[in-house]
Order: sequence, then C-alpha cells, then structure tokens
Amino acid sequence: MRNILPVLTVVLAVFALWYGGAVMLNKNWAYDKAERAGVELSFGEMVRDTMTQEKPRLPPPHQVGAELWKTTGAMVQRGRAFSKRSLIYHGWITLSSTMLGFVFGTGLGILLAIGIVHNRAMDKSVMPWIIASQTIPILAIAPMIVVVLASAQVDDLIAKGVISMYLSFFPVVVGMVKGLRSPDHMQMDQMRTWNASRGQTFWKLRLPASAPYLFASLKVGIAASLIGAVVAELSLSQDGGLGARMLVGSYYGQTVQIWSALIAAATLAALMVASIGLVQRVTLKRMGMAQ
Amino acid sequence: MKKIVTTALAGAMALGASFAQAADDVTLQLKWVTQAQFAGYYVAQDKGFYEEEDLNVTIKPGGPDIAPAQVIAGGGADVVLDWMPSALASREKGLDLVNIAQPYKSSGMMLTCRKDAGVSSPDDFPGKTLGVWFFGNEYPFLSWMSKLGLKTDGSDGGVTVLKQGFNVDPLLQKQAACVSTMTYNEYWQVIDAGLTPEELVVFKYEDQGVATLEDGMYVLGENLKDEAFKDKMVRFVRASMKGWKYAEENPDEAAMIVLDNDATGAQTEKHQKRMMSEVAKLTAGSNGALDEADYRRTVDSLLTAGSDPVITKEPEGAYTLEITDAALK
Amino acid sequence: MIWIVFVLVFWAAAWRVNIVLTAQKPNRFNAFAVPALFGITLLLLWEGFVRGFGISPVLLPAPSAIAVTFSQNLPVLWGDFVQTFVKGALSGYIIGCGAAILVAVAVDRSPFLQRGLLPVGNFVAALPIIGLAPIMVMWFGFDWQSKAAVVVAMVFFPVLVNTVQGLQASDAMQRDLMRTYAASYPQALMKLRLPAAMPFIFNGLKIATTLALIGAIVAEFFGSPIKGMGFRISTEVGRLALDMVWAEIAVAAIAGSAFYGLVALLEKGVTFWHPSQRG
Repeated sequence: MRNILPVLTVVLAVFALWYGGAVMLNKNWAYDKAERAGVELSFGEMVRDTMTQEKPRLPPPHQVGAELWKTTGAMVQRGRAFSKRSLIYHGWITLSSTMLGFVFGTGLGILLAIGIVHNRAMDKSVMPWIIASQTIPILAIAPMIVVVLASAQVDDLIAKGVISMYLSFFPVVVGMVKGLRSPDHMQMDQMRTWNASRGQTFWKLRLPASAPYLFASLKVGIAASLIGAVVAELSLSQDGGLGARMLVGSYYGQTVQIWSALIAAATLAALMVASIGLVQRVTLKRMGMAQ
Repeated sequence: MKKIVTTALAGAMALGASFAQAADDVTLQLKWVTQAQFAGYYVAQDKGFYEEEDLNVTIKPGGPDIAPAQVIAGGGADVVLDWMPSALASREKGLDLVNIAQPYKSSGMMLTCRKDAGVSSPDDFPGKTLGVWFFGNEYPFLSWMSKLGLKTDGSDGGVTVLKQGFNVDPLLQKQAACVSTMTYNEYWQVIDAGLTPEELVVFKYEDQGVATLEDGMYVLGENLKDEAFKDKMVRFVRASMKGWKYAEENPDEAAMIVLDNDATGAQTEKHQKRMMSEVAKLTAGSNGALDEADYRRTVDSLLTAGSDPVITKEPEGAYTLEITDAALK
Repeated sequence: MIWIVFVLVFWAAAWRVNIVLTAQKPNRFNAFAVPALFGITLLLLWEGFVRGFGISPVLLPAPSAIAVTFSQNLPVLWGDFVQTFVKGALSGYIIGCGAAILVAVAVDRSPFLQRGLLPVGNFVAALPIIGLAPIMVMWFGFDWQSKAAVVVAMVFFPVLVNTVQGLQASDAMQRDLMRTYAASYPQALMKLRLPAAMPFIFNGLKIATTLALIGAIVAEFFGSPIKGMGFRISTEVGRLALDMVWAEIAVAAIAGSAFYGLVALLEKGVTFWHPSQRG
C-alpha cells in the first residue's frame, strides 16, 4: 500500500498534462470560431471555451468523465444498463469476444507448448514460424479474415474471437515452453530415478512448475486478446462493441465518444488483468509457490 | 413502445409461419453503417413489406473495411448494395456482379472546398490537396480528374490526393482544401462543425457531368439462372421499392426506424432526419428500374478516364431489367 | 482432388524428413533446413487447398499468384515500404524507445517516482493504444508524422516499464561493490546498472518491434497519403485485388521478421554475458 502516494502523484501529473494539452490543442478552434464571429477572446474566455467545445481535438477529463457517467451510471439508474446507447452493453460485447478468443488462444498455446516440449521435430520446425507469425500485422488484415470466415458461414462472434486468439496464443506458447522447461536437471534426474513415465513427469513436475510462467503470460495474453477484439470490432461494427463506438465516434468526429470508449476499454483491460492476478495469487498460494 | 410492436410482430410472424410455408431467406449487405442512406430497406423490414412478399430478410450493415463484392463472393449475402464504378471494376476482376435494380436516380457525391483555401472553380485544383475516399469509392473522383487532365500521382501541375478517413476533419483542420462529401451526410457534418455554407464551395458530380450510379442492388450472375432465385429477387425488389417510396413520403418516421436499427447507438436523431430528407431527393426520380441512359453515362465516364481507365473494356451483361420489369408490372 | 492428395502426401513426407533431420546431431544445415521445410509445406498446403477446392481469388489467392504479383509490383511495394516502415515505424520506434529509456534513467534517482510510474506504466502498456490512431491522425496530419506518433505511443510504455525494472536488476552485493570502489552515481549507472538492465531493455525493444509495424499500418487506415502499406492493403481489398494485399502482407512479414532478427542479433552482441545467451 506504500505505493498509493507515488501512484497518485503520477496520476495527478497525467491529469495536469491532460488539461494543459486540452487547452493547447483546442485553442486554435476557439480562436478560429471567434475570428469568424468577429470577436476578440481574452485568455480566460479562450480557456473556458476549450473546456466546453462540442467536438474538441482533445476533450478535457471532465467532459470524458461526464460522457462516461452518462453512458454507464446514469443508464443504470434509469434501468437501461443494457440499452444500445450504454457503454456497459458495448463493453459486454467486447468482453464476450475477448474471452472467447482468450480461452481458445490459451488452449491452443498450451497444446502447442506441450507439443514443442515433447517433440524435437516440432520444436525445430514450428517454433521459428510461431515467432514469424507475430510479425504479420494480423490487425491490418482482420477485416479480410472476417469476410473469408463469413464465407464459411462462421458466426460473427467466432470471427472476432479468431483475431483475439491469434494475438493471445503467442505469449502463452512462449511462456509455457519456458515454464515446461523450467525444471532443472536435478529435478528431471530425480523423476528418472523414480522411473517416472513421460506422462508422470509431465503431470507431476513440468506442469506444476510452469504455473508461474503461465499466469505471467496469461496477463499479457488477455490484454492482447482485448486489443484483437477491439480491432475486429472496427470491421464488424454492426454488432456494436467498444471498437465500434470508437469507429462511429471517429466517423462523426465525436472525440468525446472516442475517448470515453478508450477509457472504458482501459478499465476493462485493467479489470481482466487484475482478476487474473487474483486467480494467480490464490492458485500459487495453494500450490505453495507464492513468493 | 417499439418493443411491444416487435414482440407483437414476432408473435404474428410465428402464427403466420404455422399457416404459410417457411418464408424465403434473403440476406442484404449494405455498403456502409446503418443510416438513413438505406432507409428504404429498414422501412420495408419494419413495416412488414418483406413479410407480405413472404421474405425473411436479414440486413447486414457494412463499414469502412467491408467490401460488399467480397461478401457476396464469399456467400455472405444474396444481394449487395454497391456503387456502379466499383461493381464494374469487380466484374473486370472476374466477379460476375449484375445490377438488378437502381433505387438511387441521382448521385449525392460532391467535393466540398473551403473558400479561404483559394478554390472557387475546378481550375483552382492544381497544386491543392484534395481528400478522397478509397476502398472502391475513388473511381468517380479519378475519372473526373482525368477528364480535367489533372494528374493524381503527386507530380507537378496535378493535385495532391490524400486518403481521407471516415470524417471531414481534414477540411476542418485545414489539412486539405477540399474533401469528398455526400449531400446527405458529410456535408452536414461540415456545417455542424461550425462552418457556414457561405464559407464553402461545393462541386456536385451531377453538375460536373461525371455523376456515376450509386447504391444499386447487385447479385451474382450465376444465381440469376435459377428461376426460384429470380422470383425471390422480384419480390425483394418490389418490397424494397415500396419501402423507399414510403420512406420518401414519411421521412421523419423512416429516420426513427433507422435509429431503432442502429446497433452502435451512436447516431443522432437530428442528423438522421436531415439525411433522410436529402436522400429522398436522390431516390425520388427512380421507380427502381435502371435507366439505360444513366448506365451509358456511367460506363462512358469510366471507360474514357484518360490514361488509367477504371474499366478497360465495354462491360457485357452488367445489368438486367428482367427483375424490375417483373417487379413493377 | 489430385492437388489435395499430392499436398497431403508431401506433408507426410516432409514431416518424416524433419523427424530424421532433428534426430541427427544439430548442425548449421538442419537448423536452417527444418523450419524451411516446414514453411514450404505450409505454402504447398495453401496452394493445394486453393487449387483443389477452387477457392475464388477474391477470397484467398494462391501463393503462386501472390508471388507473381509481388515480383511485378516491386517499385510500388518498395515505395510503400519506405513510407510506412522507414518513415513511420522506424522513426517512431527510435523516438519512442529512446524517450522511454531516457525517462527511465531520469526517474532512476527518485524511487518515489519509480514506484508511481511502474503500476501506471504497466496499466498503460496493457491498453488498446491502437485506439489512439484516429486521434493522432487528427493531431499530426496525414503523412507519416501521425503514424510515427502512434508508434511512439505504442512502444513507449513497454520499453519504459522494462527499463525501469531492468535498472533495479543489479543485486545489492554488486551495488555495494561499486560503493566500496567509491564510484559516483554516473559511474555506477554506466558500468553496472545499465549493462545489468540490458536483458530487460532488449526484452522491451523486441516486443516493440512488432508493435511498431502494426501501429504504423493500422494508423494508415484512418487517413493517409496515397502510398503506404496500410493504405495499399485497405484500398486493394476494396478493389478485390487480394493478390496485391497478400504481397503487401508478405512485405510486412519479411520486414517485421528482419527487424526482430536485427534487434535479437544486437542483443546477442550486447548481452553476451547473460545466461540466456550462453545456453
């Protein structure tokens, strides 16, 4: 808890920069407008104008906060939490495709890692390509993939999940390969002296030893998965989701909407990473591996 | 209220289904996000015009990354809405797209310029930066420029082209002298942002004699060999046109129907109502049938487009009047 | 049908060869041949399925068609590469990573700021920064500057967090040793703490390579001049020229792998002493 004060300081600094930036970036429009209306703006009037523009270049925090409240808390109070205008509804859509992609990505990652650790041919031939696969800008071709999948009559949710999966399996493979190989020679020799089969070695030694690595890469993986979902929603905007909100916001120049969707996505990411951290703490504690 | 209506409708539909045989499924892929540009289809859906024709229509909204031609090639839709230049270009790529109906008579496309950027006529274009949409929407612009004899590759004496995103920011931020706008949509975003019509100059493609046909209904040629499919399309076109005419007469109601169908919840009532009234001006001249003179003009403008024509040879079988003839009898 | 059978047979044969190869003593030849053979198998599988099932070229073109397009359009691809990779991604990468390392060193003397920066940085590093792309285009215009800005935002935090952690990596014994030498703060930083941080910094730099390329490409979707890899990809999809799209993707994959490889090579040279490099 000793981190609270420093974190608060940094957060305050971020807010100060944000307000300063809002004034800097929005002032041109304010002056532009005043010039066309033929009035002189004093500094104070200019600052006031930059705080309240309808389509600011950088909306100040309080505008974003108001929009966030309007689309979450206020909707809940009116009992319309799942209306299409509510960010809770869109967050839920994003969450569902993120989770789908994450579950599949994690499964695929673990399976690949097991194969790589146990089969030399696979290690040598597949591993370089797994690394190369991440250099393909999947996000850039997401729309195309989605359309090709649609030709196979694949559901939209799954199409979005595929993008998330592609981004999230990589950290899991890398982490799990490292984790499954983390038992040292002594421990492996010990298993051998007990005449343990490969299966037994796997279940009793390799798998438990990989747990800390798994959790570390799950945290990276779920964040990547969320990015995949958001970008996929840019192409499948008809289903809604935070990505679709950003797109439509950008389409209509509604910067406040873009920023509030961004903040909502950020909150979602933080919540997901934090909940994996919680599972990690509990699991590792019960396994007796907590540091 | 809306909910009650849909529930009642759903109930009625379930009841009807048990008497009638199962309705025919039709999937329609739009060219862009849900907005009043497509009001006719949403109205036909909402008012039950499709149902009267025994059709079960699914409307799939598009977006900036969705190429309708690709969707239909992948089997994701039966009918797509597309602009004729991009449909004809797809034909040359080997995709047999056929126009079966043309609810939009006039083109809504225009180039909107700032007066303070020094543009008052097309003669002022050289050396200026112009914003253009790509993704198949660049063809009308390119053919206009080559008609004017202006190079678009950034060389001297030509224009600088930039790919504008989905909004009019480049004009507002003075990054471009002109941007592409539609009469019913982006132009009003410029106005909403605080610029006045007096500060702007607009060049309508219609007025410049380079208008091309927009938002036609296209299907795959091979499907048209199937009589059952043709019959389905006749009913689809008939119901859609009924929807369009209803939307023209009741623009405000149509706009509200569109809003109800917007999944992102980001569209505003004011903008959609205005869009609907502008759209009505463009669809007013059409009963759904493609005017062969308009087709001719579009093809000519694309074929003659200077050194880099959009299409290289006269298209054959790119449209059929068979469907509209049967539908409008 | 013949194609599919052929491809499946080839697959089985290649797998067999790879098992034999990996069973041998590792040498330079099979370290290269094994992944190469696997890659060729993948391409053949792709080619075979496209031909065998008659998949339309507007959905998925065959690798052979892509290769032909690639070789015919080299000048265009090169122009796009320069615009997106050299101007957008690389300049953003250098600015972003440089700034992150400088900031990390600057806050190094203040444990207070470090404690604040680390959680906030970790939080931001997990954000979908790519969502900033439309905003950056609005701020910095259409040319490569806005792309570089997106790249800066994307690479800054992963590198920052890794560097801050790396600077804490030297252990107490080593720092005590520096103190017994009466080393000044800059001396200790240059001789001990920065070198000790290198494995961490390079970890961040490697993550940043792929982020940089993705950022530069996706940012072009929100507005660009009429060249660049992202521009080409989105435009050619609209024109149904999928062979060109895939040629562009191939460029991205090659550039991305080469970039990653280069940074990994540099890491090998700089952190030769670290256990992970001696393995």
